[in-house]
Amino acid sequence: MDGDSSTTDASQLGITGEYMASGHYVLQSQDDDGEENLNDHDDGGIKENFREQDIYLPIANVARIMKNAVPQTGKIAKDAKECVQECVSEFISFITSEASERCHQEKRKTINGEDILFAMSTLGFDMYVEPLKLYLQKFREAMKGEKGIPGVAVGDGLGDELTDDSFTNPLPAGIITADGQQQNVMVYTTSYQQIPTVQQIQFS
Amino acid sequence: MSQNTPDKDDQSSTNKKAISLPISRVRLIMKSSPDVSCINQDALFLTTKATELFVQHLAVASFNNGPGKETNSLCYTDLANAAEETETFHFLTDILPKKIFARDYLQSLEQMQENDNDDDPDF
Repeated sequence: MDGDSSTTDASQLGITGEYMASGHYVLQSQDDDGEENLNDHDDGGIKENFREQDIYLPIANVARIMKNAVPQTGKIAKDAKECVQECVSEFISFITSEASERCHQEKRKTINGEDILFAMSTLGFDMYVEPLKLYLQKFREAMKGEKGIPGVAVGDGLGDELTDDSFTNPLPAGIITADGQQQNVMVYTTSYQQIPTVQQIQFS
Repeated sequence: MSQNTPDKDDQSSTNKKAISLPISRVRLIMKSSPDVSCINQDALFLTTKATELFVQHLAVASFNNGPGKETNSLCYTDLANAAEETETFHFLTDILPKKIFARDYLQSLEQMQENDNDDDPDF
């Protein structure tokens, strides 16, 4: 077994990363093209022969959000974008299953906003909760304003309707930031704005 | 009240779109979880919005950990590192395994086998 062979096929080696002392590992081919079996169908409509785990959000949207989040001069590799796509689906499933479980425990059938917020808090995303509450409040007000009926249930066309800018007004709010310090910040409810509370999270 | 900016692809800061992710797709992913029957509109909105925050969060955290080989360029390895080092992202470690070269793996394997041969069973 010479070490310089390029045997990257894990099935030939018959082993996974479980022998490694720390963490998981996968074998990387020498010429890493970063395109394993990632989705080819990330644009265009959903086909019915999708496996459940192949459902991703469109890579253009994901990439755009990433691009706006990192510094202006930063670049993002293609495999990183594809990877974040998968992470996003994982995140959604993660939150949903936690919220769903709580729903079942309380013998309810419909997952509501509270379940989602609670799930996030439980799973370590409590820094999102406060900004999300504000967004939700604004969303509700906007929907009321447009429909003229409080608490209206909107159907599947919601995705289109929300592309209208019902959210042009910034949120004047005294927000408790992640640091626990209150400050008056204008939260612009546009998707590309960095949320002050998120910015204050120490990532290092 | 609504000052419509008709450009859908406008990426400047004046873009007034509220949500940049397709809600219907988010619902599809949510429904793929077992035992999920109905999803409230609020829940759907919150999840979509949270997903945006998550993408921003993950991108910034990975980027700040030091872009990998190339300067200023976020790559897969940065994401894998962030998943391991940040507790919030631990749930991603299964789908973000770190990559090593095959030859390194084989060398380590040989080493471990040698260690096994050298160890005395002393417990």
